[in-house]
Amino acid sequence: MPILQLQFKDKIISKYRVEKGKSIKIGRRETNDIVIENVSVSGRHAKVEWAENGGFMIIDMNSTNGTFVNDKMITTHALKHGDVISIGKHRLIFGYVKGEARPEVEEKTEEEGWMEKTMVLDTEEHREMLAKTAEELRAKITVDKVGILSYLTGADGEFPLTKKLVKIGKDTANDIVVGGFTMGKVAATISMMPTGYQLSYVGGMTKPKVNDTTVKESVKLEEFDTITIGSLKAKFILKG
Amino acid sequence: MVVVESAGITDVGCKRTGNEDCYLVDDSMGLYIVADGMGGHQAGEVASRVVIETMKSYMERFQDGSVVEELEDEDLDLTREANRLLASIRLANSSVFSISQSKESCRGMGSTVSAIWFTGDSFVAANVGDSPIYLIQGDSIETLSVPHTVIAEQASMANGNAIKIDEKFRHMLTRGMGVIETVDADICENQCFNGNTFVICSDGLSDKLTPDEILDVVKDAKPDKACQDLVDLAKERGGEDNITVIVVRVKKVKRGSGFFSSILKKLGLS
Repeated sequence: MPILQLQFKDKIISKYRVEKGKSIKIGRRETNDIVIENVSVSGRHAKVEWAENGGFMIIDMNSTNGTFVNDKMITTHALKHGDVISIGKHRLIFGYVKGEARPEVEEKTEEEGWMEKTMVLDTEEHREMLAKTAEELRAKITVDKVGILSYLTGADGEFPLTKKLVKIGKDTANDIVVGGFTMGKVAATISMMPTGYQLSYVGGMTKPKVNDTTVKESVKLEEFDTITIGSLKAKFILKG
Repeated sequence: MVVVESAGITDVGCKRTGNEDCYLVDDSMGLYIVADGMGGHQAGEVASRVVIETMKSYMERFQDGSVVEELEDEDLDLTREANRLLASIRLANSSVFSISQSKESCRGMGSTVSAIWFTGDSFVAANVGDSPIYLIQGDSIETLSVPHTVIAEQASMANGNAIKIDEKFRHMLTRGMGVIETVDADICENQCFNGNTFVICSDGLSDKLTPDEILDVVKDAKPDKACQDLVDLAKERGGEDNITVIVVRVKKVKRGSGFFSSILKKLGLS
């Protein structure tokens, strides 16, 4: 049967055997199977359960400060050999004994040395873990939504809208330069807003058009909109 | 140039004795900021005040145009103006951080910050934490800020794989001013137009009123009346937290780069 090893900083406090069909409760209260005496640990903090596939799960019991596995906040997580569970300033390391049967989903991990890991967890680290979890999520969101102007006429290729504000106009300082007598120095901008891209008219006699409708102020861009500004014609596409 | 009508108020609320919120309404600079402090004793009040004062004095230095700063770690994907506002936020962050490190009574303090800065004919909006910035255009309200809370960041996962998190994480921030040495603000910039109305508030208001309710109160009211009505509503609904709100309405946008204005300029008529 696998083992949970409780550590505080680099000190091993105790080891617990994890058994099939038996849940292991972790928390501050005496009624738990693994009692961690620390203010940052909830009365009933988390539990380890045997799963159908022969593996084990760690489940957060709505704890105040959260349960982390390998620095990521979890609510439930299928435990793998060598997983490090952080609860407050304590760490529990989950591992199978050498030669023991593991569930099929198990990845092969380094067997040696996992028990010797040194761990210090303070509030700063806790905060960073949270930030890291959120950061990864955010990365996923923004990648989903990169707008691209695919030129139809006036220029070749495409222009990725990775800047927060893309300026279009006659002046050479613009991101996209479009000539023309009636073209404003800055004729229009495309802005990356939290809710999506917006095209705005800025100045000059040549007003931008989206799908042949003249833009006098600001419009939200939808995928496959056709944007016309003077001699520039482009399609707005989202790439993920 | 943008001509605006603005108002801002802060209210201690119904339950608390101290006010940890702080705000700035500065029409001459076109700068509007709300900061919601956190931390025990008086530390939250210190944090939000330091944020406001640092940003104000930083931005003031460049008002007459004689001083042009050399920006450190300038983000080339942003305009110069956006970079300047970010620089003021970074400076405010390190001010709060250094005080919290050096004074025992201020340890662990922090603050949110949400700011709008009007530059020429456009605006820059930036935020750290969960104080929202709304933009009202006609009958629609949109959020310009990105809430840095555990809940919001989980929920915004586009593919619906978001893990459900308990309500108690509602105010757990993933970013704050003065919490660690450096800070990353979310930013957006765009043109502004006549009638655009911006609302910046602390969570003492946004916890009590939905964006649509804020829209209803603000859209046809004068900014000072709108501010007062919003605060009154939040207090009627409990007012457990400090409440701060700024309402800025764009009255007129003078554009400098137009075809006619450039001709008028050449003719000396403008």
